[in-house]
Amino acid sequence: MNDDGQWIILMGFVVSTIIFILALIVSQSALVGQTTSESVLEFSKTDIQDLRAEVIYLKEKELISDDLLIYDLKNLSMGRKTAAVDLNSWSDEISGTDFVFIHFNDGTTSYSETYEEYY
Amino acid sequence: MVDDSGQLYTIEGISAGLLMIVTAYLVVSSTTVLTPQDVHITDVQLEQLGNDALAMMDTRDSYEDERSPLQDYVLYDDSINKSNFEQQFLLYCNSTPFGAMDDLRFNATIHFYKRSTEEQSSYTYYEPPGYDYYRENAVKVNRWIYLEEKPWNGHPNMNSGEQMVIMEVLLWRG
Repeated sequence: MNDDGQWIILMGFVVSTIIFILALIVSQSALVGQTTSESVLEFSKTDIQDLRAEVIYLKEKELISDDLLIYDLKNLSMGRKTAAVDLNSWSDEISGTDFVFIHFNDGTTSYSETYEEYY
Repeated sequence: MVDDSGQLYTIEGISAGLLMIVTAYLVVSSTTVLTPQDVHITDVQLEQLGNDALAMMDTRDSYEDERSPLQDYVLYDDSINKSNFEQQFLLYCNSTPFGAMDDLRFNATIHFYKRSTEEQSSYTYYEPPGYDYYRENAVKVNRWIYLEEKPWNGHPNMNSGEQMVIMEVLLWRG
């Protein structure tokens, strides 16, 4: 029995094991990238930004306590974005602050904020 | 003729071959996973682009302005304003840092809520002329719009006075 090539065999095994592990890592990283972009798509960042921008616009136009508009907003948001929206505004005369409570929940993301504005 | 002097080499050869095949399979299959991932990344980018374009159009040029350009386009929806809307939106979406224009297409729908009957409905505000949507991978972006009154050419079922509507834009690469 000739055992001259044992180092070559051993090195062959080591190299192929390394390549095997590297391939595993590469395939995992691709999956991670996919799930990340999927969760980015699912997170309703733009919906919340849009709602917030609209609320601040309505506040500026002094329409934030207009029940008809809020009624539209709640119903449309339920129908088109499947998100529950609640808006509530009040003001504090002592500190001279207007508050708008903004709530958004689309089942996966819940967002609440109390927007403050000094007058 | 037949002896067993090369058995170790034969086993080594077979196992090395198997290892190479498995490795090649793993590498190839890992790179094919990249395709759906790439699609999602462009979806995210397209969605951000459309939302940014709508946000830009829904911003008043100056504080004194009564309405943003987007509100004007929806409220006074004659053919001139619709084509202004089309041009502005396509300009914002198709501009690239390299000077050449991109080829994005879109259609826009207005969704409204009729209070008296508690019904939601919609009408098409804009669609590309002679170019229907036949492709996959479109993204939907939307923007709240406050209207002081019913648009000129709005849906007959719309509320008459002030109201909130949603503009929904379907955006795809042409």
